[in-house]
Amino acid sequence: MLPDQLRSKLREMIAGAESPREKAIDVMYAIQELQGWMNDEAMVEAAQLLAMSPLELEELATFYDYIYRSPVGKFVIKVCDSTVCWLEGQLRLTDYISSRLGIGLGQTSADGLFTLLPVCCIGYCDRAPAMVINKRVYGNLTPEKIDRILAQLAQKADFSGSE
Amino acid sequence: MPRLIIDEREIEVPEGTKVIDAAEMLGIVIPRFCYHEALGSVGACRMCAVKFIQGPFKGVQMSCMIEAQDGMVVSTTDQEAVEFRKRVIELLMKNHPLDCPVCDEGGQCLLQDETISGGHAMRRFPGPKRTYRDQYLGPFIKHEMNRCIHCYRCSRFYQEFAGYRDLGPMQIGDRLYFGRFSDGCLESPFSGNLVDICPTGVYTDKTARFKLRRWDLQRAPGLCNQCSLGCNTVANAHYRGVMRMEARFNRDVNGYFLCDAGRFGFSYANGDPGLWRRPLFPKIAGEVAGAADALSAARKALDDIAAKNGPGAVAVVGSQRNSLETQSMMNLVCETRGWLGPVFFFDPAMRLKTLSAVHELDGEIAVSMKQIENADFILVVGADPLNEAPMSAMAIRQAARKKAPVVTIDPRPVSLPCDSQHFAVLPKDIESYLGALILKAMGKDAASLGSESENFRAYLGSQLENFNPPESLDQCARLLAASSKPVIICGTDVTMETTPAFAADCVRLLNLCEKQAGLFNLLPGAGSFGAGLLSRTEVPTFADLVEYIENGRVRGLVFAESDPFHCYPDRARLESALSKLDFFLALDYFPSETARRASVFYPASTIFETGATFLNQEGRAQFASPVHCGGEPIRPGEHPPRVYSGLVPGGDHLPAWKALASIAGMEETCPDIAPEKFVPPSIPGFEALGYPVDGQRPALAKSGFKTQWGLNTFDKSQAPLTFELLMVEWIFGTSEFSAWSDSLAPAVLPPLMSISAKDAVRLGLADKDKVSVELAGGELEIVVSVSDRTAESVLIVPRHNGLEWQKSHDFRVFVSSEKIRKI
Repeated sequence: MLPDQLRSKLREMIAGAESPREKAIDVMYAIQELQGWMNDEAMVEAAQLLAMSPLELEELATFYDYIYRSPVGKFVIKVCDSTVCWLEGQLRLTDYISSRLGIGLGQTSADGLFTLLPVCCIGYCDRAPAMVINKRVYGNLTPEKIDRILAQLAQKADFSGSE
Repeated sequence: MPRLIIDEREIEVPEGTKVIDAAEMLGIVIPRFCYHEALGSVGACRMCAVKFIQGPFKGVQMSCMIEAQDGMVVSTTDQEAVEFRKRVIELLMKNHPLDCPVCDEGGQCLLQDETISGGHAMRRFPGPKRTYRDQYLGPFIKHEMNRCIHCYRCSRFYQEFAGYRDLGPMQIGDRLYFGRFSDGCLESPFSGNLVDICPTGVYTDKTARFKLRRWDLQRAPGLCNQCSLGCNTVANAHYRGVMRMEARFNRDVNGYFLCDAGRFGFSYANGDPGLWRRPLFPKIAGEVAGAADALSAARKALDDIAAKNGPGAVAVVGSQRNSLETQSMMNLVCETRGWLGPVFFFDPAMRLKTLSAVHELDGEIAVSMKQIENADFILVVGADPLNEAPMSAMAIRQAARKKAPVVTIDPRPVSLPCDSQHFAVLPKDIESYLGALILKAMGKDAASLGSESENFRAYLGSQLENFNPPESLDQCARLLAASSKPVIICGTDVTMETTPAFAADCVRLLNLCEKQAGLFNLLPGAGSFGAGLLSRTEVPTFADLVEYIENGRVRGLVFAESDPFHCYPDRARLESALSKLDFFLALDYFPSETARRASVFYPASTIFETGATFLNQEGRAQFASPVHCGGEPIRPGEHPPRVYSGLVPGGDHLPAWKALASIAGMEETCPDIAPEKFVPPSIPGFEALGYPVDGQRPALAKSGFKTQWGLNTFDKSQAPLTFELLMVEWIFGTSEFSAWSDSLAPAVLPPLMSISAKDAVRLGLADKDKVSVELAGGELEIVVSVSDRTAESVLIVPRHNGLEWQKSHDFRVFVSSEKIRKI
């Protein structure tokens, strides 16, 4: 069940659109913002709000890399696996992240902090290899840079966790 | 018309023809997966590549994406194109399991055919194949996603063509998955077409699963006889059982598709081993007897009654499922022997409606389902297409996809697989709404259109004096006025007696306004058009016949493919009437209550065993070929009977009309199937036709206005808080075929009584409440379904096989509010 406050916010968002379904992605983002991923119940409820069938929303949700249909960690690391990043050593970097965090592609670290996923070209070819973590893009990646980023994020998580 | 050369042969094709279809006209079938004529081109699978040698396109191109043009030279056998297709099929086979030996599609699989034709045999890709978890999709369709080659035919059919929203593509790339959001029954009543349309075995027929191989089947072109549309089928039989039904292409009728009721509702012909057996043996007084004995016993009993009480003491009763052969023979027997009948109708009002629908339909206004698809305005009056004739709803959707507005005027909460504007009105007000709509659409210049339109205007003007239609009707009228090919679809189930004739004249009026308007009637059964043609006015209905039995005028009855226990609304009265008879004979293939009680029972053959002619609701004569000889089916794991008996296992039964001829002592006048020999000469058109008379409309009325307009408009006599009980059909669960086909049983929903939201408030009822409705024959318990699309002052109840609606005691019933109690 979605919280009432979120539901009324979504209703408002949908009411502003010419046809409800054009807000499908925004609605899923808003729900994900709150609960991290789209579970089945949220899918059914969102579909209802959007006057879509759950299947129609699922078609969209499973098409996009940025909608999660299973639980993810606090930080979702998406490593670009398209041509330019691949030329610049994406495979090696992915292996590096993988071994550092002890997780394979599609997996979440035991502490629930990190999920590792591949992603299609993010348009950062000039700074390849690149990755996106949550909404931030990181380019010109090296193992050292990755160490730094992961450490920072872990610290941030500790900090917000202690609040 | 473009002329082009394909494989060194020239052909001229209509403008807009795709090269893939042009080749097919030459008998060259270019391999394809995603392309299907009904679904159109997407160019996704790349299988139909051919080489364009001369003309506006050059090189290897997809033949489904390019329209035939003058001067094109195309080769399907060019080395480059052949190599291209070989690569495509190799890639498509990358993930396909080698499970053909256990796959139901094996032997009739497009993927098998095209793998072979593409020349792919040895697998080069060493990697693993992707696998999926399959879903439960309901009682009809088995899901096997591993076999999928991602052609998208299923989702394009299911969502775009048929208009349902619970099956489609999910995920991307190698994980692409066609299915539902979660396991569950497919919502579409057209889901069976997935079996036909899938090029491989992702969707297979669950009812036939593991029972058959295509090459073992006896196949014949058949017809669906479950509703009045006459959709074309291919019937498949094996080991004396009907195993499976496929759609057979007919451009004018059903196109490529069938509804699930028609596709899966054949198992009555086999019987259900768990519940009942199809009656395959003749019986005298309930005891199994030889065929000749049963026929002669019936003949003697009926002759005795005729000798003692006059021939009018014997009556012949048919039904809406009789073939034209049976109807014609009943007519001939009654004329020759002086017996009463044939009685085709149970409800006098239904007889009037069917007769006027048949006699008002002339060649100028009759349209086919294909023409519905091309209409630019659709007006559905007193009809529920999805429940009464499902494939017509599919045709309406095709028109709606081309932006035709759809308007429904009906007391039921009519829902269609497309957008529609619904007016929930009582049956008696349907004509007012229709008339007002036509009048408004005709506009001011209608006065110049001749005396008919003036009369119509004058007539309706007086009828509609106090009629203030909702504003939305004006908007519909403007759309109707702007249309050029409108179609009116008129039902016969809940309409008033006058409505079919009124609708026909409305179509003629639209034609006066320089439109090409058409009429499409929905009739109660496959045999209704024939029954309407062959009904003579002096012949009573079954309702009258019950009175004749009660006062002793009728003493013997013949029921030919007819079960009053299913159709007559007063069971107690029926039972006592039948017990008063000296003798009654039942000729049927259903194990009905009538068959069980009959003095003599003779097992008639089904449409699958002897074939039959039916006139569909637009008067199109079509012949269903026999597919097998019938008999006791050999079920999986069983052995044919080991004991000798004088009775061939059901194999020698006659069709009802031949048995009837024998009983009436008319074998010598009974030709082998040839209705032109015994269809009465009063029916025009038949003598000119050979036989079979496939696809022709032999019998249409004379054109011109009939001006028998409605008399029931604005009858305000119905007291407030009195409800008319409207008995209606459902796609699953109300027909006799549904009652005796266990294959349909899992699709039957429990009965619901639909009432309007306003009435629900007045009666203090909520959705899903259980109520008791006190009827003349006792209390009817049923769950309520509240809808804001249902008309006020009606209770809509299905003639559900699981509901004792025969407690209603009459065809038209009114119920006052205090008779409706929440329980």
